[in-house]
Order: sequence, then C-alpha cells, then structure tokens
Amino acid sequence: MGFKAILKKQLKVFIKNPGVFVQFIIYPAIAWMILFFMDFDAMTGGMEYIEGITYEFLETFRQNMAANTPNMVTMQATIFAGMALIPVMAGFIAEDIEKKSLRFLTMAGVKPAAYLFGIGIVVAFFALLSSVAFSFISEFNGVDFWVFVGAMMSGVLGSIMLGATIGILTKNQQNATALSMPIAMVVGMGPLIAQFNGTVANALRFVYTQQLNIVADSLNGIITETPLWQSFAIMWANVAVFGAVFIVVYKKKGIKE
Amino acid sequence: MISVSMKNISKSFGGNKVLDGVTFEVNEGEIYGLLGPSGAGKTTIINILSKRFAQDSGDFFVKAQNNEMGLMLEHDGLWGSLSCLDNLIVFEDIHKLPRERTIEVLENVGLSGAKKKAVDNLSKGMRQRLVLARAILHRPKVLFLDEPTSALDPLTARGIYELIRKLRDLGSTVFLTTHNMEEATNLCDRVVLLHCGKIIEEGAPHEICERHGAVKTLPDLESVFVKLTGGGLE
Repeated sequence: MGFKAILKKQLKVFIKNPGVFVQFIIYPAIAWMILFFMDFDAMTGGMEYIEGITYEFLETFRQNMAANTPNMVTMQATIFAGMALIPVMAGFIAEDIEKKSLRFLTMAGVKPAAYLFGIGIVVAFFALLSSVAFSFISEFNGVDFWVFVGAMMSGVLGSIMLGATIGILTKNQQNATALSMPIAMVVGMGPLIAQFNGTVANALRFVYTQQLNIVADSLNGIITETPLWQSFAIMWANVAVFGAVFIVVYKKKGIKE
Repeated sequence: MISVSMKNISKSFGGNKVLDGVTFEVNEGEIYGLLGPSGAGKTTIINILSKRFAQDSGDFFVKAQNNEMGLMLEHDGLWGSLSCLDNLIVFEDIHKLPRERTIEVLENVGLSGAKKKAVDNLSKGMRQRLVLARAILHRPKVLFLDEPTSALDPLTARGIYELIRKLRDLGSTVFLTTHNMEEATNLCDRVVLLHCGKIIEEGAPHEICERHGAVKTLPDLESVFVKLTGGGLE
C-alpha cells in the first residue's frame, strides 16, 4: 500500500533537488571527457628528455594508455554505481526520518516494501539513464551493450539497497552522510585499488561493485577468472541481503522515529 | 461508546516518571482536551496512543486502525521542497481520495491561495494549518492534535476551532493537548488536568470551574477584533 504515492512524491522531491540530480549527469560526463579529451602526448610531454627513456618506450606507454581508456571509462561507471548512489539513497531516507515524514507515512499504512521500492525506483530510473550513457560512451555494441547495462543496474540496485539500509539505521541526514560516505568510498573506490593489489581484490570478491568491475573488464576484453553468471549471482545476493535488513529495520523504526 | 481510553498507564524515561497511573475514557464524537503545563506528560500520552512508545504498565485502547487516525504533532513531517498541494497529494494517493477532497481541505484551513507555494516558503502558522489539513484529509475516526494552535494568531486559531468542531459534528473523536486554558474552555467538551504525570481533575470545563469556584467573566478583546474586522482564516 502506498507505492504509487511514494513513487510520485519521490519523483517530485528528486527533480526539485538539483544537488542530487547533477550527480547523475556529472559522472557520465567525466567518463566522456576521459575518452575524448585525454591527450596522451601531453601526458608524456617532456618525458623524452629523461635520461634512458627511449622513443619506443614512450610510444608503447602511449599505446597502453590508449588501450586502457575503455577500462578507465567503465571504472568511472563502477565508481558512480558505488559512490554516488549510496549517499543519495541514504540521504533521502534519513531526511524522511529526521523530519518525521516516515512516521506519518507509516501511520497512514505505507508498507516497508512500498516505501523502499517507491524511493528506489526513482533513483534506479535516473541511474538507468546514466548507465545507458556509460554504455554508449564505452562504445559497447549489441549484446555487450545490454550486458553492461544489466551489470550496472545490478550494481545500482546493490547501492540502492545498501544506501536504504544505512538511511533507515540513521537518525538524521548528517548522521547518514557521515556513515554512508566512508562506506561509499570503500565500495566505490575498492575495485580501483583492487586492480593494483591482489589481496584487496580477494577481500572484495563478495562486494557487488568488484563484481560489476569484473563484468566490465570482461566486456573490455580483459580475461577474468570469474564467470559472468557468478558475478551477477554475487551482485544479486548483495541486493537480497541489504533488502532484507532494510525491511526488518523499517518495521522496527517506522512509527517510532 | 468509548473511542479512546487509558487505564493505569505509567511511563518513565531514564528513571524520570513522566506518567503515573493515568486513567481516562474518551467518548466517540467528543472533543477531549489534555490540559497541563509543558513537561506534564501530554505529548507522551499522544505518543503512546499513536504507538510511538510502549507504556511501562497499564493498558490503552484506540477504536481506530493506524490509517484511520489523524495526527498533528510537534514535528510536522512536511516535505519542504514540495508545494502545499503536493504534500497533501501524497496522502490523497495513500488513502485513495478524490482530488476534490484535497482542494476542499485546503480551503477549509485557508490555504487554497497558497496551494502551489513550497512549504519552505510558508510561515509557521501556515505550516501548522497544512499539517492540520493533512491530519483531517482522510476524515479520521480519531484525531490526535498536539498543541494545534500554538503558533497561530487568535483569528486563525478561531478558524481552526470551528474546523475541529465541524469534525466532531461529523463523528470524529478529537483528542488534543494544550496549555492554553482559554482554548480548552472554549473548545473541549471535556478536559483532564495533568500535572507531573498525574491526572488531578476531569470533567466539562465549566463544571470544573464551578466545582472550584473559578467562574468569572473577562473582557474578550479577541471577539471585539473579530467583530470589527470580520476576520476569518484568510
């Protein structure tokens, strides 16, 4: 009960909140800039004067950088799925708790699932638009295009559920930001660090953003050990766990807060 | 018929006893006032009746489901970036009410002219009227009002009294807290006087005054002002 009401309300709140809205544009915009504005000649400018560096080395370096650009774009998408969405979702729910709106909604009969889906679908819809933009920027075609969007949306749902769980556990927006930002940093930036450190990669193997990045790597032609189905299964397991925690906490706190 | 009741309710917060054996019964279709100074335990009673807190001991009864109650509390729970109308539309959708009902309620509280105004741009009194509009939108069986006119000027408060009486006449039970003795006298069918978590007196306001030899006539400047200005809610 109340799903449609929450959906309509959240759409209006979202659109009237430019600070949140802009995040769904800025991350794909940065990815686009990485792809089209990165000047590898400028990056290596002056390096030819360093003793021992050969023209062949610089050329190989530039080619490697250029070859890794798609990977940098999909990494930006992973960072978006992890870092942007957790604080957004936590903030929306914490605001409803802080201003006691959640209590009025609960008293009016809004069920936890209706509340979660009402808010989550609005965030997911705008994240879907960003994900499609990322897939275009990454120049994925055919099945790869939709596999990437599917993986992104699985990551997005993971962040929505995690953000919702953080939001429902906190007392106010300040508290939600303080709690969600470090978690978002770990979840969002973890896969980037994992690329350079096997121990971190191993530690993050059950985290949905790491699996999202593995899917993106495999679409970029990088050989990965994890099969696609396994990555998707881990991401959806994350979604289920966070969703269950949210529903339990909502039932306990809905009226009380 | 009993609509709201409390029997021997006690509640403490951190060793501080806020309610001590509170017992009362509210009849259906009655305006019942909980009167007392700040800290007397009025809001705690509303919080227990609306299931925010559990009592330490005793029983209570409310003849309404959660979604059949109307609430007007200290924290308004409004969405600041949304307009008055949009705030009410959320609850219109939840209760599956026609848009005409929402418009009617906005008119009743004198906010039809400000329906498109963002809540963040409303005065405190206007916000309070909007909260009342939300509380009565679905024609609740039981309406809990926590100091409903505390931020309102006398003219607006008078309009709200009329609205509350109208709701009572339509069959709603109204349970309100106030520390305004005049408000309680004029508005409530029955009141309880609460002091330090205990009920010290109960009955119709005029009966209580007569019982304690406290009936007196005071000059009523507010009525003069209304007579001279024809003042209403807007």
